[in-house]
Amino acid sequence: MHVQRIQTPPTAVPPPDFASMADTAERILVVEGVGKRFGGLIALSDVSLSVGRGSITGVIGPNGSGKSTLFNIIAGTLRPDRGRVFLNGHDTTRASPAQICRNGVGRTFQVSRLFGEMTVLENLVAVAHGASDAEAVERALGLLDFLEITALRDKWGTELSYGQRKLVEIARALMLRPTVMLLDEPFAGINPRLQNRIVDHLEALRQRGLTLFFIDHEMRIVLEICDTIHVLAQGRVIAEGDAAAIRSDPKVQDAYF
Amino acid sequence: MKSLVIIVVSAGLAALIPFVGSEYALSFTVQLFVFVALAYSWNLIGGYAGYTHFGQVAFFGVGAYTGALLMNAGVHWLLAAAGAGVSGALLALPLGGAMLRVKGPFFAIGMFGMARVCESFALGFDGITQGGTGLYLTPVTDLKPLFFVLWAIAFGMVALTWKLDNSRLGIQLLAIREDETAADALGIRTTRLKIGTFVASAIAPAAVGSLYATYLSFIDPATAFAPMTELTTIAMVLLGGMGTTFGPLVGAVVMSVVNELLWSRFPEIYLALVGAVILAVVLFMPRGIVSFAMRRAWWWVPAARSSLRRLASRPTPSRSPKEAH
Repeated sequence: MHVQRIQTPPTAVPPPDFASMADTAERILVVEGVGKRFGGLIALSDVSLSVGRGSITGVIGPNGSGKSTLFNIIAGTLRPDRGRVFLNGHDTTRASPAQICRNGVGRTFQVSRLFGEMTVLENLVAVAHGASDAEAVERALGLLDFLEITALRDKWGTELSYGQRKLVEIARALMLRPTVMLLDEPFAGINPRLQNRIVDHLEALRQRGLTLFFIDHEMRIVLEICDTIHVLAQGRVIAEGDAAAIRSDPKVQDAYF
Repeated sequence: MKSLVIIVVSAGLAALIPFVGSEYALSFTVQLFVFVALAYSWNLIGGYAGYTHFGQVAFFGVGAYTGALLMNAGVHWLLAAAGAGVSGALLALPLGGAMLRVKGPFFAIGMFGMARVCESFALGFDGITQGGTGLYLTPVTDLKPLFFVLWAIAFGMVALTWKLDNSRLGIQLLAIREDETAADALGIRTTRLKIGTFVASAIAPAAVGSLYATYLSFIDPATAFAPMTELTTIAMVLLGGMGTTFGPLVGAVVMSVVNELLWSRFPEIYLALVGAVILAVVLFMPRGIVSFAMRRAWWWVPAARSSLRRLASRPTPSRSPKEAH
């Protein structure tokens, strides 16, 4: 990858502006001083970041940098040792995954977690909360159409290929009509054509006003589509900014390239 | 539609037995209905929600004792059965809250332990239960009313399962079975659903336990909490197909009939033969008879969870009504 080396002094990451944390007009998701350790291992030491409403925000970082831990804390599957998470201005640090989900967060999983012995349609309809059966089916068919996977409707979860599962998981998360989508490595291990297709879909979703927050290793895509990128290394955010800023940040180059 | 036809026809045929069958057929069907009710209840929590366990007989036994004690206190056997059903739910509520925190083999064996605990209570509190001597009840002279109550419970469970199979609730239970963590992360209220299902799966066994005590006019700990009752129920569900509408019914009928035929003809080796039959089915139809038939998609086999597919295949509103027909 071609990296421009611009000799600028490394800009320090500005401390999060805690005074405007309540300002949810712009920031849909705020992570404030989150730390988490597993026994002697410090997974996250002190992570603060925010996600702008309607943005595509990415988190990258080498293996073991704490990306998945951060993600699981936001989604409620892990409790942080310290720090807080705000979603739409509400403190969701201690909320259960189901509560967070019902507050407008849809998520996909790093390793496919489709319901295997259920059809694709059933996978989608199962999570449509509050809608009638007819509405749920209508919504599901609309999403399958949107993601161009209508042909998979009656296939069993176990029958799908790896890439198809990723698409169905996105569709399933969208069934919840989320305001934020958490995508855990949506591009890992799938072919470039499908990657581009997913990118197109994510762009289209953003056009609809959805906020997308994802972690991935796929540098090419992350730098291409993200408005803001946070780079994690050894449990802390070492850089944040747009693609150009990340490319030129020497700390990132040290940690990653 | 096919499902409804099957339910109505089989319920109708079963209802004829007291009028055309012998006393033996009546007795056989009463026991069959007991197992149908047990199998369908176990199918709710074990087949749909995926929490298989070996402790359902706890509810059967507690129901049998509750019913027997109520009847000895002068309560009508029908009311006693209703009271037993309530007792099952009341026992399942705290038990579910405590036990459903663990999964897989821990839950399965933990529940087995609970059944043994209940059996020990029945043996130990001999001031109330007469311990190992058991409780004797006034024998019933006419089996027909008992038959029809059990008939209603058995086919009520079939109809309920059919409704569940075609509802979003059923699909959400299957989601818990498939991947509880993912279901939880996607906003399905897993704790509430599985405890609710567990409680629902305890009511019919307890009520049927009381009716079984009425049928035998006797109950003791060994009968009420027999592990054989538990294992037979589970074998029926596995044989027919877990998590299906007709699996428990098919399993219960096949197993009872095979059992009865072999028992009368080969009394010495019938248990070995039953084992061989189960082994053959498990080897050739690992997901049970009904799942096997559904996979073959024979025309007379109703599809699972057809209502959603029907909704999805509906003509879209954008099309004109003429085109739709």
